[in-house]
Amino acid sequence: MSSAQLEIQIIASLVAIACAIPGTFLVLRKMAMISDAISHSILPGIVIGFFITQDLNSPLLILLAAITGVITVVLVEYIQKTGLVKEDTAIGLVFPVLFSIGVIMIAKNANDVHLDIDAVLLGELAFAPFDRLLISGVDVGPKSLWIIGSILFITIVLLVAFFKELKLSTFDKGLAASLGFSPVIIHYGLMSVSSITTVGAFDAVGAILVVALMIAPAAAAYLLTTDLKKMLILSVVFGVFSAISGYWFAHWLDASIAGSITTMLGVLFLAVYLFAPSKGIIAVMYREKQQRTEVSLLTFLLHLKNHDDERERHVNHLNEHINWQKVRSKTVLDLALKNNMIRIDNKIVSLTTKGDEFTTQAIDYIMTNEDSQIEDMKEDFFLFRG
Amino acid sequence: MDEIPAFAGIMDLKDYIQLVFSDYTLRTITLGTAILGVVTGMLGSFAVLRKQSLLGDAISHAALPGIAIAFLITGAKDSNTLLLGALVSGLIGTFWIRGIITKTHLKSDTALGLILSLFFGFGMLLLTFIQKQPNANQAGLDKYLFGQAATLIESDVWLMAIVTGVCLFVLLLFWKEFKILLFDKDYAKTLGFNTKTIDILITSFIVLAIVLGLQTVGVVLMSAMLLAPAAAARQWTNSLAKMVFLAALFGAFSGVFGTAISASQNNLSTGPVIVLVAAVFVFVSFVFSPTRGLLFKQIRFIKNRRDLELHKTLAFMYHIAETHENIAHPHEIKILNNFQGFTKGTLKKLVEKNYVTLKGTTWSLTAEGFESASNLYNQSNKKDE
Repeated sequence: MSSAQLEIQIIASLVAIACAIPGTFLVLRKMAMISDAISHSILPGIVIGFFITQDLNSPLLILLAAITGVITVVLVEYIQKTGLVKEDTAIGLVFPVLFSIGVIMIAKNANDVHLDIDAVLLGELAFAPFDRLLISGVDVGPKSLWIIGSILFITIVLLVAFFKELKLSTFDKGLAASLGFSPVIIHYGLMSVSSITTVGAFDAVGAILVVALMIAPAAAAYLLTTDLKKMLILSVVFGVFSAISGYWFAHWLDASIAGSITTMLGVLFLAVYLFAPSKGIIAVMYREKQQRTEVSLLTFLLHLKNHDDERERHVNHLNEHINWQKVRSKTVLDLALKNNMIRIDNKIVSLTTKGDEFTTQAIDYIMTNEDSQIEDMKEDFFLFRG
Repeated sequence: MDEIPAFAGIMDLKDYIQLVFSDYTLRTITLGTAILGVVTGMLGSFAVLRKQSLLGDAISHAALPGIAIAFLITGAKDSNTLLLGALVSGLIGTFWIRGIITKTHLKSDTALGLILSLFFGFGMLLLTFIQKQPNANQAGLDKYLFGQAATLIESDVWLMAIVTGVCLFVLLLFWKEFKILLFDKDYAKTLGFNTKTIDILITSFIVLAIVLGLQTVGVVLMSAMLLAPAAAARQWTNSLAKMVFLAALFGAFSGVFGTAISASQNNLSTGPVIVLVAAVFVFVSFVFSPTRGLLFKQIRFIKNRRDLELHKTLAFMYHIAETHENIAHPHEIKILNNFQGFTKGTLKKLVEKNYVTLKGTTWSLTAEGFESASNLYNQSNKKDE
């Protein structure tokens, strides 16, 4: 592994961490699409900054572009406030317009600007190590490393300093306001950080990957935990993992590093989405299926409880009366038998004592929603867990 | 980036219009963008009203890997197969988004951003992978990123026209169902409509419209094509039929004007110009729409405030006049000075309305003024109750 390769991986990992932190809060605050809007609408800021500075890594350019990002947020909120269109429409209107302005500015000055839109959208991580920062003639490392390093440092300082405020205003705006933390300041603070991170990272990894790095790790982490600190750590870990594995995948495939990191993020999210222990799609579907069966079971038991007459409890009659499909009836019957809730003598189904008690308790629970009595049932039945 | 070549410098409107009819390329592009505007305007109305505005953005990005995969499989750059690939991957993206929203606790914005960026990144990976392949045919796939109206040919326009026709037909056929689903889903369900099917139908059409536009305006800006005409049309009417019609009209004009502007200038790509023209429609609608527009809203606001001040002054005068036997008893203007709503302007207005007469430094209520002031009082009392 050459030093350039190492540097690329370090830069990618730092970008991943710097994105994961604001990304977590964006996802929790239901503002994920704002990051997409910012990542597009910084383009005119970058172009204007480039006209002035002629240097994609200049701090002035980053500042200008970050301001464009914040302007996007303000514009979206202004349009939303007029009540003429909904918030999502406001977002969808603002960023393509700003992006178009940027594209046209580049096209009109194509001869003077050595700026490629593809580069803005995609970045080129592979070239990042060649743009060195020289301090009085001494090579101290790639410029992007320093830029993203400083942004990450500021982000972490802000996160530690305002963790309490951020947490509170994310989960309970009203309480935060009544305790004297201005949600507006925190909101715009977060927007500014997201904006600066997006700008700082776009040069290395491109605008789209910034969005992916902000949202995907946080979304995956959110499926695994509901603890904010754990979620932050998990999204950082996911981000760094995708960054490094994505780099090697791109190396093997000889394709865009940014695209490959995003693909790794996608694979990671897909895996979590499918297999997360309690919120993954498989777990959810299993639970839903179990719940359906349990509701059927309860219906079945209730039916038995309400009908004393032997004729009513004859298998044929039940088949006709409840009218379930064969497989379903069998599942329900098996479940009931397994739990010793029914007895079948001579094709007559009847409740056991246990089944009788269970039905009474279950009905009690459903009617009163007090669950002290059924603590022991929770183990066996999904229905009583939520 | 694309420009439509060879027309730079022609600015005469008449010449341009003649050129549109005589020149094959320009005619094709103008027709193509106009038809695209119509179909995106129509379906965009539904997207906007269903609060699915950003779905368009997600779908258009999600279509990119489909284009790349279609190319990898067929090895040819036939735009129809590529669009088919885009359609399939757009639909997969859409249904994955639905899956995330309905099956997990992640919210719709997260789901949209997630699918958007992940699919797009994957698409870019494939595109860069394709670029490295020893296949001379691969150049130009990246036109789908920003669109290239200049590459439209007659068969593309025909395809667009046919799809637009089908959309229109289905829209008219299921108009009632679409409408009821849009405004009252639960009611639609109780009436026995299969809301899921209608929902899937309309979402699929939105995906189709987006995919059609990829070649012209590209992945990145396609969502604006969907939203802008509809958002502009929404400001002018409260009727769905009128909104759909207006949106189609705005979309068509955005396409035609955008093409014209980009054709008459050097170095102007068509997609972004069309988006900016559509944005102008939105801006004008936001400001100048008679009922919802910001300008008239502000004017109404100021007018209401003036009326209120006038009424307040009149009510104040009424209370003074009430204490006298003769309502026409003159009072000094000075006593009004302590009253907040009073200005010379309001007094003048009252005189104009013949509610008050002035005599030197005194005023007195007329019978008419007394009457309307007492009614004013009653009305406001009634409203309070």
